[in-house]
Amino acid sequence: MLKIEDLHVEVEGKPILKGISLEVAAGEVHAIMGPNGSGKSTLAYVLAGREGYEVTKGSITYKGEDLLEMVPEARAAEGIFLGFQYPVAIPGVSNIYFLKAALNAIRKHRGQDPLDAIDFMKLSKEKAAIVQLPDELTKRSVNDGFSGGEKKRNEIFQMALLEPSLAVLDETDSGLDIDALKVVAQGVNALRGPERAMLVITHYQRLLDHIVPDVVHVLIDGRIVRTGDKNLAKQLEREGYSEVRDAPSL
Amino acid sequence: MTDTARQTLLRSLPASFETGPEWLRSLRARAADALREQGLPSKKTEAWRFTPVRSVVDAEFARAPGDAPALGSDVPEGVRARSLRAVLGSEPELLEGRLELAGPPEHFAALNTALFSDGLWIDVPAGTVVETPIEVTHAVARAGVSYPRVLVTTGESAELTIIETYTGAASDGLTNSVVELDLGPNAKVSHVRVHENAGMQVGRVDVRQAADSRYQSTVVTLGGALHRFDVRALLQGKGAECQLDGAYLVEGEDHVDHHTLVEHQAPYCRSDQTYRGIASGKGTTVFDGIVVVHRDAQKTEAHQENRNLLLSENATVHTKPHLEIDADDVVCSHGATVGSLDDDQLFYLRARGIPEDLAHAMLTFAFLESIVDRVRHEPTRARMREALLARIPHGDEIREVT
Ligand SMILES: Nc1ncnc2c1ncn2[C@@H]1O[C@H](COP(=O)(O)OP(=O)(O)OP(=O)(O)O)[C@@H](O)[C@H]1O
Ligand SMILES: [Mg+2]
Repeated sequence: MLKIEDLHVEVEGKPILKGISLEVAAGEVHAIMGPNGSGKSTLAYVLAGREGYEVTKGSITYKGEDLLEMVPEARAAEGIFLGFQYPVAIPGVSNIYFLKAALNAIRKHRGQDPLDAIDFMKLSKEKAAIVQLPDELTKRSVNDGFSGGEKKRNEIFQMALLEPSLAVLDETDSGLDIDALKVVAQGVNALRGPERAMLVITHYQRLLDHIVPDVVHVLIDGRIVRTGDKNLAKQLEREGYSEVRDAPSL
Repeated sequence: MTDTARQTLLRSLPASFETGPEWLRSLRARAADALREQGLPSKKTEAWRFTPVRSVVDAEFARAPGDAPALGSDVPEGVRARSLRAVLGSEPELLEGRLELAGPPEHFAALNTALFSDGLWIDVPAGTVVETPIEVTHAVARAGVSYPRVLVTTGESAELTIIETYTGAASDGLTNSVVELDLGPNAKVSHVRVHENAGMQVGRVDVRQAADSRYQSTVVTLGGALHRFDVRALLQGKGAECQLDGAYLVEGEDHVDHHTLVEHQAPYCRSDQTYRGIASGKGTTVFDGIVVVHRDAQKTEAHQENRNLLLSENATVHTKPHLEIDADDVVCSHGATVGSLDDDQLFYLRARGIPEDLAHAMLTFAFLESIVDRVRHEPTRARMREALLARIPHGDEIREVT
């Protein structure tokens, strides 16, 4: 589904990603772990198409197409979803109405009819229930006055509603209490399926207890230094990044 | 002294005023004399620095027939709405001293005083609370100049909502309006103005507030060849409050200029101003707000904010909020910003699948809608939203999802 080859990315002239190669097949969940500043969010943003991230070398192919040629909304329409590490507040734009616009834009791209207000509300209620997002929050302005945990839940609510093929979740677990973590993990697991893939960025093994990854990558200083199975995450938790980086590759 | 010879608009001033009660003839004559003496503003007039006033004063206008605005709906119970011309004919003494704009008239307001032929007097007697808004429409039907005049008087503890709409497609017409509001003690007036005429408009709103009265003004200005509005609120009685809000939008070669002046003349008054503007195309916006706190106006609380989105390289934004404070025990703030749409917000919307231009429009609409949201009367709020949606790109799609 996703193939990243020798990806080099600069931000404001500064090299951040220095040759990343990664392949994610449909049905797989990959975790990306790595210290602060190693380039995890940068990778997520590049996948979603944010401006200001210059790809100086390499390629990204998604469902057989050149992803880098697409604008962000086209990527979303093709099924890419980014769960933001720091979701921005948008005062004055209601969560639910913006999602309706988003869903209908995506449906239009797929050649489907727009959902009417009633069907949309039904769907939204159903999805909000999955992540236990209170009705009141679905109607408020996007992330406006949301607590850290509420924002993250809102991201998963949106993902559940938009049903992406490739979800990139950037530290969706940070800021969540233990119960919320389970709820969010359930939301993610509910979406797992043979047609979908996920890239889960996290610092903590505990998320991976709930969302068990097929592959774990360790990203340090813009490079993937280790790739392994779920046990690699456990090893990281025990030994820290420097040990893992310096250990001979498996 | 201004060279008034070239100010074509002044040629319509008659040599003398022959009709109406003596006090009115005298009022008009004083206004006309002042105009002949001082002229209308010129490009050297400080308060008109950013607005090309010559295009108004030097232009040739025929007098458009009829200055009287239309009452848009049934007049709600409890409100007396009468034609100024009729009252001036039958009971002129009722209006004596009430059309004087709290001081010597100047500039366009003086011209209106000299030349208005008719208008409306809206009065709510003491103790009367009117829920249903009274609607006043000034439709500029064709090119020419008109001088709408409205007087609103409210007795003690009266409450009123008034919605004024200025419409018209003629881009070469001129509307020179004056609206005066006199709020009695503890009266509450909510005043909504929607400016959506394509032509030129110069408008003055003059508010005089007795103790504990509350005036809330919400102005929506949607483009226009040249629009200039001056709102002046005089907080004359202790504990009076005024809230002045505005949302404006220019595109093409529109030019919109809002001036506000709030004078705190008595202690324990509050004023709060929030104006938000969007400048796109080759449009120009001007905001100039002054809060004056007189020496005796202790315990004043005054806030003023002007935020602008500059959406095109060819558009221009001028903003100048300022304070003149002579009292020492006051809480005042003022600020202005000019910025563009937030990249993080835009990306968030696009990353969810919303096309770039729709994302732009959604954020633009949200920026202005926050002003309209302050109007308490729901149907009025809905109408103002509609007016905005009609003007914003992708308005139909935004309406669809909201
Ligand atoms: N706009 C920018 N301008 C300059 N440097 C940037 C910019 N964005 C990111 N960087 C730098 O790129 C590097 C990688 O940042 P990134 O956010 O991808 O790290 P991360 O792995 O997600 O870290 P964390 O675990 O703290 O979220 C950091 O050194 C950061 O300072
Ligand atoms: Mg990060």
